[in-house]
Amino acid sequence: MKSKLFFLLLAVMSLTLIIACSEEVEEAAPQVEVTKDSHDDDDDHDHDEHKDHSTLEEVLERGVLKCGVNDNLTGFGVVTSAGTFEGFDIDYCKAVAAAILGDASKVEYVPLTASARFEALSSEEIDLLIRNTTWTASRDRDLGNDFTATTFYDGQGMMVYADSGYKTIEDMAGATICVLQGTTTELNLDDRFKSAGLDYTPLTFETNDPLQAAFEERRCDGWTTDKSGLASKRAEFPAAAGGPEALVVLAETLSKEPLGPLTRDNDSEFYDVVQWVVFGLIQAEESGITSSNVAAMAADPKDPGMARLLGVPYGDGKVADFSFGVDPTFIQHAIKAVGNYGEIYERHLTPLGLTRAGSLNAMWTEGGLIYAPPFR
Amino acid sequence: MSIFIAKLSTWSRSQKNRNLFYQLVFLILVAFFVNYLVSKAMQLELTLSHFESRSGFGISHTFIKDYTSNDSRWSAYFTGVINTVRVSLVAIILATLLGTIMGVARLSKNVLFSTIAYLYVELVRNTPLLIQIIFWQIIFLKLPRITEALTFGSTVVVSNRGILLPYAKPAEDINSNIFVIVLLFIIIISFVLSYYLNKKEDIDGKKFKILNYNINGSLAGTFVFLILSVSAYFILQKPFVLDLPSLYQNSKGTYLQSGGFEFTPEFGAILFALVIYTGTFITEIVRGSIQSLSKGQTEAAQSLGLTNYQSMTLIILPQALRSIIPPLTNQFLNLTKNSSLSVVIAYPELFMVSRTIMNNSGRALPVFFLILFTYLSLSLIISLFMNFINRRVTRIGA
Repeated sequence: MKSKLFFLLLAVMSLTLIIACSEEVEEAAPQVEVTKDSHDDDDDHDHDEHKDHSTLEEVLERGVLKCGVNDNLTGFGVVTSAGTFEGFDIDYCKAVAAAILGDASKVEYVPLTASARFEALSSEEIDLLIRNTTWTASRDRDLGNDFTATTFYDGQGMMVYADSGYKTIEDMAGATICVLQGTTTELNLDDRFKSAGLDYTPLTFETNDPLQAAFEERRCDGWTTDKSGLASKRAEFPAAAGGPEALVVLAETLSKEPLGPLTRDNDSEFYDVVQWVVFGLIQAEESGITSSNVAAMAADPKDPGMARLLGVPYGDGKVADFSFGVDPTFIQHAIKAVGNYGEIYERHLTPLGLTRAGSLNAMWTEGGLIYAPPFR
Repeated sequence: MSIFIAKLSTWSRSQKNRNLFYQLVFLILVAFFVNYLVSKAMQLELTLSHFESRSGFGISHTFIKDYTSNDSRWSAYFTGVINTVRVSLVAIILATLLGTIMGVARLSKNVLFSTIAYLYVELVRNTPLLIQIIFWQIIFLKLPRITEALTFGSTVVVSNRGILLPYAKPAEDINSNIFVIVLLFIIIISFVLSYYLNKKEDIDGKKFKILNYNINGSLAGTFVFLILSVSAYFILQKPFVLDLPSLYQNSKGTYLQSGGFEFTPEFGAILFALVIYTGTFITEIVRGSIQSLSKGQTEAAQSLGLTNYQSMTLIILPQALRSIIPPLTNQFLNLTKNSSLSVVIAYPELFMVSRTIMNNSGRALPVFFLILFTYLSLSLIISLFMNFINRRVTRIGA
């Protein structure tokens, strides 16, 4: 018995060692190939140093885009009663799939938690991460991924009961604030109250459900998290506790939280496609191209710029192909699938009560930050 | 070569040599394994130097220690440790009381008592603690909202923001710390006095007398304690003042409550859950220990004419205590560790605060080591204390 146990232990330990060693070999292997690769690689891919394959090629080969999403945030990413995914972020998955594969249904959604999302991307479990993720310097640098573009300018907000009479944070002296444990949520909250010189009591929760229970019973005066999250929680606030009308999200923003899709580091072909799909949908709105008129516009583009965007010839000219490695009409496919930026916003975020006009998410022509670099 | 193999085969024929060989291989593997772990750990930054920096976040429950977000992360961490110790200590005392009462009730001839105790144990013991904690949170949240808070004069305020009770708080100027120390001395003096007088009474076999009045040791101790503490209070210029709770509206019309001793719903929920859950296990320990005593003990006590209460407190429980203490220690340790579950209901104990620090700093591993070390220390302190009690209990019996 004893010796059996002993051999078992021996086996386990040697196994651990073998695994440990092979891990090190795996880690070292790509670096070896890098040096080989960089010599005979094309000179226009100087960002591709650490890679020997492109996600774009992989997606084209597989015929399906694996998209990491949220499945529990109304408006951004949520599973419907029919079992399908729906939301603002989900539409961007569809747009990218339509752009690359020509079919918006060729998406495999992978629901991810906030803590698992970055590892899911870097371990190649997914191709693309679109899960209300804030663009920050440390995430960009440390976590092995690249932020493509901002699709939604979010910010930490404060939600209060309408009958409380709070109009600004300055009114909230002595208030109790329910706050969800996050990377910076508690810090932003404290900074804001400290700078206003106000006392407050933070009630820090680890998960949303006990927090909502406490808020419904008015254990706290305010609820702070990202404004998009607040709007989503407000939209589904139970009627028994007063429904959405009982709540107000204060206008003030406590922090900058730009959200957008992420790809892996050093994956520039795929990165470019995703980035320009995002810009393309913005440009489409600016040019007045919608999902309903895109076919007509493509058949008869109004100006050369529109022709370049849609990947069609203007008059007798040639098709402008920007060599993204996909069909030049990729933006056209994306618009057909989900519509332009305004349409996506209208469909998912306006119902939440996130008014677009006057916000950061308005078009640049209307004083917002939604802006696409030129297609040329 | 063949000589070598022949030698090896003769060498390996001995069980002792073979064992030596296995041990050698094992030792080498262990060395590699440890080396691997250490080299991996060396790649990580394992210092806690970032604990010196400003914490930057608020904590809702601060007790004894003043804490603001301008203090260091160490400060925040110790606030969490104090919250853990506070809830564990109170829960241990209450759970022991509850468990002892229920354990005795479980064996009561009164069907009502024994049924209540039986149902209590079977219902509470068989549901998960986490669910009980959330259950108590919801119960406490059902207290009146602050806009409809109950007030009893200006002494008690009850709302789901917390139950406020009158409390003695240190006055503006000094002396409060001196008073606490003096008070401790006075308590010790009083105890020594009453112990000495009672002992003397036992030995002499007659009451101690001053001017023909019988003096009882406990009474004298209480008397001395009152005199000394009241005079110390006035000599030190009233170091503590009464802190009465209040409910008021500020200039914006917001209801606020402050002052007094605050019993929050979060503290209440975790306390109730821990006490009631751990109480069931203590009930069973007490019941089992009493039942393990020979029935002759109870019968002998009864035949001496002791009442049920007397036979329980003088004969049965002191003997049962010997087999109660070791499993009780386990329950105390469990209770302390289970207090980390309060992370779900926003009671900022050490695990909750550490999680915030981990989130903010992005350095999880060293913080985890610190958490483990802290829980280990708390557990060892409880074990040491309980071993001390155990030695005393077994010595008296022997």
